[in-house]
Amino acid sequence: MVEHDGPILEIENLSISFFTRLHEIPAVMDFSVTVHPGEAVGLVGESGCGKSTVALGVMRDLGVNGRIVGGTVRFKGRDLGTMSAAELRAIRGREIAMIYQEPMASLNPAMRVGRQLMEVPMIHEGISATEARARALEVVGDVKLPDPERILESYPHQLSGGQQQRIVIAMALMSKPSLLILDEPTTALDVTVEAAVVDLVKDLGRKYGTSMLFISHNLGLVLETCDRICVMYSGEAVETGSVRDVFDAMQHPYTQALFRSIPLPGTDKNAQPLKAIPGNFPLPHERPEGCNFGPRCDYFRAGQCDASDIAMARIEGDDRHFTRCLRVAEIDWSAPPEKTGTVAATPPGKVVLRIENLRKYYEVAANALFGGGGATRVVKANESLSFEARESETLAIVGESGCGKSTLAKLLMGLETATDGAILLDNRNIEQTPIEQRDTQTVADIQMVFQNPFDTLNPSMSVGRQIIRALEVFGIGATDEARRDEMLRLLDLVKLPREFAGRMPRQLSGGQKQRVGIARAFAGGARIVVADEPVSALDVSVQAAVTDLLMEIQRKQKTTLLFISHDLSIVRYLSDRVMVMYLGHVVELGTTDQVFAPPYHPYTEALLSAVPIADTRVKKTHIVLEGDVPSAMNPPPGCPFQTRCRWKPEVPGGLCEREVPPVRELAPGHQVKCHLSAEALARMEPVIRVAAE
Amino acid sequence: MEMLSWGEIILRIATQLLPVWIALVATFALSITFKRRLGLYGKLFDSPIGMAGFGLVMFWTYTGIFAGAFDLVLTHDVLDQSASMKNKGPGTPFTQMMGTPDPNAYPYYLLGGDNLGRDVFSRMVVGAWEVIRIAPFASLFAFMVGITLGLPAGYHGGRLDTVLSFLANLILAFPVILLFYLLVTPEIIQTGIPVYMAAVLFVFPIIFLVLLWNSRFHTQPATRNLYVGVTLVVGTWLYAGIAWDADPLGLVSFPPNLLVVFVAVVFVNAPTVFRIVRGLTMDIKTRDYVAAAQTRGEGTWYIMLWEILPNVRGPLIVDFCLRIGYTTILLGTLGFFGLGLSPESPDWGSTINEGRKLLSMYLHPALPPAIALLSLVLGLNLLADGLREESLRD
Repeated sequence: MVEHDGPILEIENLSISFFTRLHEIPAVMDFSVTVHPGEAVGLVGESGCGKSTVALGVMRDLGVNGRIVGGTVRFKGRDLGTMSAAELRAIRGREIAMIYQEPMASLNPAMRVGRQLMEVPMIHEGISATEARARALEVVGDVKLPDPERILESYPHQLSGGQQQRIVIAMALMSKPSLLILDEPTTALDVTVEAAVVDLVKDLGRKYGTSMLFISHNLGLVLETCDRICVMYSGEAVETGSVRDVFDAMQHPYTQALFRSIPLPGTDKNAQPLKAIPGNFPLPHERPEGCNFGPRCDYFRAGQCDASDIAMARIEGDDRHFTRCLRVAEIDWSAPPEKTGTVAATPPGKVVLRIENLRKYYEVAANALFGGGGATRVVKANESLSFEARESETLAIVGESGCGKSTLAKLLMGLETATDGAILLDNRNIEQTPIEQRDTQTVADIQMVFQNPFDTLNPSMSVGRQIIRALEVFGIGATDEARRDEMLRLLDLVKLPREFAGRMPRQLSGGQKQRVGIARAFAGGARIVVADEPVSALDVSVQAAVTDLLMEIQRKQKTTLLFISHDLSIVRYLSDRVMVMYLGHVVELGTTDQVFAPPYHPYTEALLSAVPIADTRVKKTHIVLEGDVPSAMNPPPGCPFQTRCRWKPEVPGGLCEREVPPVRELAPGHQVKCHLSAEALARMEPVIRVAAE
Repeated sequence: MEMLSWGEIILRIATQLLPVWIALVATFALSITFKRRLGLYGKLFDSPIGMAGFGLVMFWTYTGIFAGAFDLVLTHDVLDQSASMKNKGPGTPFTQMMGTPDPNAYPYYLLGGDNLGRDVFSRMVVGAWEVIRIAPFASLFAFMVGITLGLPAGYHGGRLDTVLSFLANLILAFPVILLFYLLVTPEIIQTGIPVYMAAVLFVFPIIFLVLLWNSRFHTQPATRNLYVGVTLVVGTWLYAGIAWDADPLGLVSFPPNLLVVFVAVVFVNAPTVFRIVRGLTMDIKTRDYVAAAQTRGEGTWYIMLWEILPNVRGPLIVDFCLRIGYTTILLGTLGFFGLGLSPESPDWGSTINEGRKLLSMYLHPALPPAIALLSLVLGLNLLADGLREESLRD
């Protein structure tokens, strides 16, 4: 191939539409972006904004219904739109490689990893199997997988999620592509694993000189990985420029609103609440005239913004910084956000829930059919948990998958009974009472909000019916009419229009479904609500609104909120106290300020460092955890975190490998489960520092 | 009188089927007009395959109903024999060897006569009635049994699942034809086994409905008692009549040989339904809305019947269509082997078998019922395909 200098990828005025039986749905309109050699460009936007469609358009893989209806995509100067299927095949996988969100879905489960990797250069470059294998070994080493020989011989299901994603990255790099398209590559992974994978992608980009198109909804991640950013809204690019310019001097109201709706260090639920973007994302066939963001924009001016289509305008003085806003010059971009009114903090009340030495062990029989025979293995899902939660307090439970937070939720709800220890609700023991034996009031008192909005409502039952059912079960309302009124009142409480009662869940957006889920949880006047990652599956602009709703209901009803999350930004924003869990142990527990400031537990320190923060002022200490979370089936001896801890050498005599550390009280209400000496803890530096302005 | 030409035969058959055409046109016109308000059934009219299938199925349904229940489409009585019409070809004028034919009788055997001189056309259209009054109901009963057992097996898993799945596999492993032979052998019928099986299988719909109402309305005892009461009274009455032939009012009864066929068909279909429902349940039970129901303290039957079952309806409806098709084939097989139904019965399987004996000489008695059977099953399969396709689309 002729050497090409100049941009690797030039997308000019690209428009893509999908055609259904009835009409054409424009998915991407007038989209332009250029990727230079070695450059990483981030594509950011909410779900449905068309960012993945752009990626598929570049690969010309739009399916039967999709078609490029305008504009050009040039790869190394050649127009991809006019290429034949054979030419495209030669480019896909070799010159342009793509990494998808679900690693397991990208790997063939019936083929050894080694063969899948070797296939790539064997097909594209026609090299021999021995050569391909040598290259596979090298690349697997490059993606920092231990024991490459063994990995090549494994099947995908034998690897962890993080390892699978590394293999997918290795596969993409096998034929040394010039452009790598990453579509939400780390969304399915835990934060510490995500941090390691992001780190790896950055290093490899540098090493191989690969250009990258990085698609993500996470602004923090884009800040960490990319040089340039393109913000999309409803099928259009609204702002594009260098990461610095866009993050520090954004020139589009949508970008600004997006940044104001995410919890950055410094926001506070009482003093400076988040500002959700009003209204809803427009559906493709309901886009307004003129500016798509117009109806939700604070700076909207009728007659100007809704008159005609708006073109991208250059911002003078910045490096290739464009915005799709007519009023750029008129808006005072440095004006601080309007104060939305501060709320007085509600002091926590009496203790309503007390957990003492709670343990939950599962026995996994070797043979499920004729249990008893064969070896049984014990999974220690929860190991001596002790904490208490007060009225109108938010206690965040933080940890990665497998840390035991879901088991804890199940024990609280009564879906499982405890192996040992006590759960005291108003000083009554409930740890051995399964949900069938709990009285209605206890059941109604502890309710749960689920993670996945698309799964939380029964798809074949109307919204109103589902809330009414909860009322029936909790014995609220004497007649059908009374329950109906109560259901409408609950819809008001979660700020949904009353006509939603008759709608089916599929007619609701993710955020609206989550509100219905909240209404259902509060149907019986719940006093303790376990919120299992209630906003992690929602778009950032919706997250703020749903979190604020939860806070508001909490203030009104003095609810105790157990907020399970792995997103430390949101935890810092809304919780009063934080409990960090690792492999079934509580490794740190304290007020939010105590947990987010040194001394930390080494795991907390790593977690804090792993969370991407979308603020250029923040400087983070870079800590990458090696390896994956050990399996709860086979936990390491001694301290559960010792296999990945970077402070382990500080503890003399291999104590970490022998003994589970005792719980130590560092300050009133701040406890840590660690062997580190007081001096070592005192030497810890803050992980997140906000540079002085 | 002259023999009819093929054009005249087709024209006359079409005229005989006039009520069926009217019913079909009305059904399609109404359905297409209101298709946007009819949910999945309405979506069917967006798919040509689904419409073709639905058309075929409804053609035989209406033919069966008009011929069997209203004596409309058929030209002669299905059992009337005329010695002079034996093995006569299609379009032969109707004659009788002895006496003069009834002047009101239809003047032709449109599709000829069989080896006993009976009208092939009439037997074919009435054969549709034999199918549509057994196949859908037998499939429905098989579904009730399969669902009532499959839901708990999939939901609870463990030993219950192991035992039930084992039993299902046991039934499925047994050769179906052999099972039928055993079930309809007079010696076995005399031992009462089919009646006991009917007694067991027919109790499932009552259990199903009682569980359905009780789990849903247990918070409102008045409503619950009404629903459960009505179900129990009507159910027990029908149950006594159908399964034990012991209706105290003497209204409901079921011909014993038909009961055997019914039981046999339900018995071999239920395990397959059981396996489908069990698999679907295992998938759906991991959803958050099921967890939400659990954390509200709902009973297991409420979760199974109201949270899980409505959400597996798509695959079940598709399977229901296919299963009616299998049942139709099963009934044909039974008839072909002369099992269960009376030897005179005009069902398609029996008529094909009788026609088979003289097949090398006379093709016309065996062909029409075979084509009828084929087109109905094809229609059901196309309908299932259309439903599957449309239920996956938005």
